[in-house]
Amino acid sequence: MPHVQNGWYLAAWSDEVGRTLTQRWIAGNPVCFYRLGDGTPIALEDRCPHRKFPLSLGRLDGDVLECNYHGYRFDGTGTCVGVAEQQDKPRAATRRFRLLERDGIIWIWPGDPDRADESQLPDTSWLASPNWTHVKGVLPLKARHLLLVENLLDLSHETFLHPSTIGNAAVAATPIEVTTSGPRVFFQRRMVGVQAPPFYEKSMGLTGLVDRWQDGEFHPPGVFLLNIRLAATGTEEPEGFHMKVLYGMTPSTENECLDFYALARDYAIDDAELTTFQHEQQLSVMGEDVDALEVQELMYATERRRTVESSIRSDLAALRGRRVLQKMLAAEAAEESGGAVPATR
Amino acid sequence: MAPAARTAGDSGQRIGSPGADEEITVDVVRRRSVADDVLELTLVRPTADPLPQWTPGAHVDVLLPTGIVRQYSLCGDPGETGSWRIGVLREPAGRGGSAWLHDHAVEGTELVLRGPRNNFPLVDAERYVFVAGGVGITPVLPMVHAAERAGRPWVLWYGGRRRSSMAFLEELGGYGDRVRPRPEDESGQLDLATVLAEQEPGTLYYCCGPSGLIDAMRSRCQGMPSGSLRVERFSAVPQPAVEEPDGGIEVVCRRSGLTVAVPPGTSILDAVRQAGVDVLSSCTEGICGTCETTVLDGVPEHRDSLLTEDEQEAGDTMMICVSRALGDRLVLDL
Repeated sequence: MPHVQNGWYLAAWSDEVGRTLTQRWIAGNPVCFYRLGDGTPIALEDRCPHRKFPLSLGRLDGDVLECNYHGYRFDGTGTCVGVAEQQDKPRAATRRFRLLERDGIIWIWPGDPDRADESQLPDTSWLASPNWTHVKGVLPLKARHLLLVENLLDLSHETFLHPSTIGNAAVAATPIEVTTSGPRVFFQRRMVGVQAPPFYEKSMGLTGLVDRWQDGEFHPPGVFLLNIRLAATGTEEPEGFHMKVLYGMTPSTENECLDFYALARDYAIDDAELTTFQHEQQLSVMGEDVDALEVQELMYATERRRTVESSIRSDLAALRGRRVLQKMLAAEAAEESGGAVPATR
Repeated sequence: MAPAARTAGDSGQRIGSPGADEEITVDVVRRRSVADDVLELTLVRPTADPLPQWTPGAHVDVLLPTGIVRQYSLCGDPGETGSWRIGVLREPAGRGGSAWLHDHAVEGTELVLRGPRNNFPLVDAERYVFVAGGVGITPVLPMVHAAERAGRPWVLWYGGRRRSSMAFLEELGGYGDRVRPRPEDESGQLDLATVLAEQEPGTLYYCCGPSGLIDAMRSRCQGMPSGSLRVERFSAVPQPAVEEPDGGIEVVCRRSGLTVAVPPGTSILDAVRQAGVDVLSSCTEGICGTCETTVLDGVPEHRDSLLTEDEQEAGDTMMICVSRALGDRLVLDL
């Protein structure tokens, strides 16, 4: 399955990109990342226009990137400025991708740069706010992008996959409310007067019954934001403990993706021990997801006779998300084939 | 008004008066031209008895002697129960419904109606922005009066080809600059960027007119909270007039060349399967989307959970395990 090109994907955390050439596959495109001397992040298609050698295997000479195969040299716009040791100056260029750096994130828009629309990104100012603290990272995943999207849009799996950390019976037992706004899909799961699962009990010292909110936002094609609130039951907003988890779900190739995460909290923000504990727990939860999604990928990939999947009410947000992605893909496919774009009303 | 086929409004709400499907015989008591090619007919019962109550946005079916059924919005004053008003645009490209009324509905002509029904109700809001295109003004006219009576701030953007083709401009004249006529030959096409330039919270947007206008409004209002935009679309596709909320329907399976009767209480899915049409399905509860089917003609009545409001309103696809039809016939790509 191809990937949506006209949309933002999380390409890297700001501190992952520097003066070293780095390759990442984004939505089926090989991309070479680096920064110019003035700090501007650059993303070029990682194929030399000469003989397709990956530019990320080359070297930086000041702001000029030199291909390590035959010496083609490129500036930060991807334009060839000459060939090392030779007189020729070919008319050649490699594609430069549109990037946007904000709140410690480098976003990439693989499609038409003129269509890049910043308003499609969720608010991430909390990543830079002094009232919040966060941990972050990225895990490679050998599973198709859609499986990760559906994993996050149906958190009833926490009950079964993550019982020692964030899951308990209350999650699967509480129905979600799903709403849609344009291409975005939202769900709310409001658990009232339930047991706190182990992770939250340890993080917040909550012992009695709690109110636990999970408000999810899918910003297609590649961003998921989970707003979490925990409080002793009956406590009014804005009291209580708040957490946010941002996931950059970035497809790499057909059956691989990158799972970026940032886990933030608005309480005990100077407690380094708590930060370490929460990061360990987050990685443990994500490890369980990675294991599950990778075997799930294998099961999807090897099914010889496709049978119809069964679905239930808690799948609704995930199914809506899947439809949104299918529609975006269909619209891009129609455009590419020169046909009319299906009306999206 | 134009021969109008309606898809359910964004609200999905259906307000039918008791006895909405009863036939009502009326006489044309007044006929006047209210714009180029737009006729206004005033209708009363021959017995002079009061007509059923209605609310702004409602329409009636007009059962023409030619066998054609057309739907026209009521554009008069809901408080006036003795008579109804409808506006009829002569549509040269139509199937003759509007032409018949233009040519034959003179004072004294008897007409048979059904309704009223309201798929486009005016919901209480802090403020309103009305957007009307051409003869789409007809349901909006009583809405404007109602918003005014309720003391709600409102503005009306009204686009048309030229001033002389825009009905009811005179009647709207008393509202001053809250009515913003935009005749194309003077000010170009209605500029939706200007219409939507100031978006105050608590505003409901009502839009009625041709598909192009509605599609443009929809795409510009995508970021708004769900339900902020309510539309009624006029298209030239004739619709069955009979509405049986859970009655039997006829489903034409175009690819299979079969016509299947779906009795009340049986799903379209079960009925077409029994007729030998092979359809995939899974949940049979309108959740999973496996049985999603393209609608070629007719208006589905959506009962699924998966389609968004916009997708339901578009009406080009449906989940046949639970959804039915607003009319008595659907043509499906099966």
